Amino acid sequence: MASFEHANWLLTLIFLGMSGTIVASILLAQRGRGMFIRRIPGLSAIEEAVGRATEMGRPMYFSPGLGSIDITTLQALSILTHVVRLAATQATRVIVGTADSTLLPVAEESVREAYTSVGRQEMYRPEDVRFVSGDQFAYALGSVGIMSREKAASNFYFGQFFAEALILTENGRALGALQVAGTPDPTQIPFFIATCDYVVIGDEYYAASAYLTREPTLTGSLVGQDIVKAALAALMVLGIAGATLWAGHAPHFLAKFMALLGAH
Amino acid sequence: MSQTASPSLWQRLQQIPRGYVYALLAAVVVWQLVWPIRLPIAPSTPTDGVFDAIRAVPNDKLIIISADWDASTQAETGPQTTAIMHAIFRAKRKFALLNLATPAGVKLANDRAVAVAKQYGARYGVDWCNWGYKYGGSNVVIGLAKNIQAAIQIDHDNTPVGKLPMMAGVKDVHDIGLVIEVSGSQMTELWLQFFQGTYGTPLANAVTAVMAPGYYPYLDSHQLQGMLVGAKGAAEMEALLRSPGQGYAIMSAQSWAHVLILLLIVVGNLGYLLARKGERR
Amino acid sequence: MPGPLLAAALFAPAANRSDLLLRLFASVVLSAVLLMLAHKFLRRRGRRVLIVAVTFLGGLLFTLEYFWPTHLVKGRQVNFLTDWIEPATIALSIIGAFTVGLGVHSLTQVHGRLLLRRRPGWHNSLAFFISMVAMFVLVLWDFSAKAKPSAAGVLPFHNAVYEILFNGIYQPLIAATFSLLAFYIASAAYRAFRIRSAEAALMMAAAFIVMLAQVPLGAWLTHGIPQAGPLGYLGFFRLERLGDWIMKSWNSPAQRGITFGVAVGALAMSLRIWLSLERGTFFSQQPEASVEGNSAGSATES
Repeated sequence: MASFEHANWLLTLIFLGMSGTIVASILLAQRGRGMFIRRIPGLSAIEEAVGRATEMGRPMYFSPGLGSIDITTLQALSILTHVVRLAATQATRVIVGTADSTLLPVAEESVREAYTSVGRQEMYRPEDVRFVSGDQFAYALGSVGIMSREKAASNFYFGQFFAEALILTENGRALGALQVAGTPDPTQIPFFIATCDYVVIGDEYYAASAYLTREPTLTGSLVGQDIVKAALAALMVLGIAGATLWAGHAPHFLAKFMALLGAH
Repeated sequence: MSQTASPSLWQRLQQIPRGYVYALLAAVVVWQLVWPIRLPIAPSTPTDGVFDAIRAVPNDKLIIISADWDASTQAETGPQTTAIMHAIFRAKRKFALLNLATPAGVKLANDRAVAVAKQYGARYGVDWCNWGYKYGGSNVVIGLAKNIQAAIQIDHDNTPVGKLPMMAGVKDVHDIGLVIEVSGSQMTELWLQFFQGTYGTPLANAVTAVMAPGYYPYLDSHQLQGMLVGAKGAAEMEALLRSPGQGYAIMSAQSWAHVLILLLIVVGNLGYLLARKGERR
Repeated sequence: MPGPLLAAALFAPAANRSDLLLRLFASVVLSAVLLMLAHKFLRRRGRRVLIVAVTFLGGLLFTLEYFWPTHLVKGRQVNFLTDWIEPATIALSIIGAFTVGLGVHSLTQVHGRLLLRRRPGWHNSLAFFISMVAMFVLVLWDFSAKAKPSAAGVLPFHNAVYEILFNGIYQPLIAATFSLLAFYIASAAYRAFRIRSAEAALMMAAAFIVMLAQVPLGAWLTHGIPQAGPLGYLGFFRLERLGDWIMKSWNSPAQRGITFGVAVGALAMSLRIWLSLERGTFFSQQPEASVEGNSAGSATES
């Protein structure tokens, strides 16, 4: 029986299956196989937001959320890099406020390198990537203060957010900024939808780096994810059909199979 | 120079200044806190689950209340914690308070426990205790399952837990009859993973209303015995215990605040639809 | 078994103060030597290989420990890697703790500049420094004075000031800020919820039902609908039951669906990072010009 401390053979098999599918898809993409990604409005809006800030001659504010160095925040940094590159080509400032001191040097490095990659290293200002506060609401209020004083024309919220999300976005909206948000956590999505102009939800968030860069590795990974999700959905349909048809009185062969899998 | 036409009534209905909205909301909440209109509260199934789970705990087992909240969510989690403590004392069970998330919440939960314990004549160290804040998250939970005294060591007053009379014979997860997670953040998953999932220990939670939708799947699968949803959950527990408290007071204000928000949405949509109709003409 | 014995030997607590100091000294010297050698002899390609290797081995420890078959030892399911997990997790926490000072440094820089140059809003920066220093001093004082008993029933001065600042000012401020959300959701809901399409109308209807179901007023509005007897089936239309049905039958599956998708996305991203397949500024090859100038922890350079 699997516990959360160790896996059993079934879980190992599932993990190898899912991982193998994703890695295989990555290898296929790297070999030049074309792969389609549908349009994600929230991510397409990033360019519009950067353009707006450029036209208005005002900076942008980017919040990578409250997370530390985890995959959600690393994805946020990936999006930050894209935003900074776009902004740099249009000579627009990006201010980044972090809530985690561990993330600060990583964010600084990402921003500095983004400017360098488009040949605009002189645009990098150390005070534009700053630690605001480790406390949730102090971070929100500090960020609102920055948006207000700097008169940010566009705000980006990508990462892990909790109750402070609405404070950030509602104030940003009151200040007249165009707002683009994205988070994988369903809890804060309703608040983003009510207050932001564009929202990236659920697993669209993890598709962001593939969508923005169109790197074969990343698009391959995205397609692999979709194949895995389709397989899981098919398993669910089979399970629902089986549970509905047999409603507790499974045929003998099926009961034996389920016992072998460790299910009760 | 042309002048822009003044907005029509329908357009103005869509653009009520923020300040007016805030003032209305504040007025409604104050009104209900000062002159409450009390309506009956019927407990829901998730709340019944928590109540029943507490009563189902064997007499010789301990209940852990993991009060992982602080001042920010205390409007919801505070009354929930108080109601849960009342339910435990009424059922003549013992509990230990614990905090895994924020040291700032230890005093808040402790103050509530002291106030409730006084009403029942419950004694610290005999009927309840406070293990305080323990740093480590999942490491603490894993450690608790294997050896409670080694994982906790001292309570929030720096007394070794082994010296507390109620902790005699309480060694590991098998001596825990129920864990109730009270939180405004995703702490329930820790207990789901390392207690309920691994050892089958009954688990219930009390969360803020915004967190609740994410936990309904766990209720359906019976991984959670029950759940208190926001201040309403606290009020429902108070209804089950027949002793109205803070939960009841908050629900009066919340009811009318919800009505105000719905009215504002209706007004906004009325303005929108009628303005559109006017434009089409 | 060699694995657990090695882990026990490496991570056993120091026997005494001298042992601890010796271990600290040896660790610092060894780390410094390794870093110097790596910096001197590894070129760009070598550095990349080192980063890929460390990333892979770091992830491999946890992954392998989770999937490797286990056997029962003293009531625990363990394998040869289990005893390495806790020290590794603790080491990660300690490494993270080193960066706490970076946050303070960043704040001091930003606000110090504002204060010294008397930029608009400098008084806020002054308030920041006063708050930070006051809290820092009081916490240290409170911490160091803990062992000394005070007169019964009287809080020592440092304790009293700490209580006022933390429980009297900080906690209520947090609660007050959280309470702003109520106002913000009212104005956001009023402004954003417009019935522009059929889906929006459906969502609005669901929102109405659930919002009323969450409060006693909703239950009171439909309390006249029978729940039992010949017309008992109408009880489904009581607001609290309708709300419950929406949450369990519609919201819950949608949440599960999003959770599945997010989990698979997280798995894919984790795999990419673990196998060093991730692409993006922080993961891809760095441009030649920036390699020699860049270093980790660059916050302290400026």
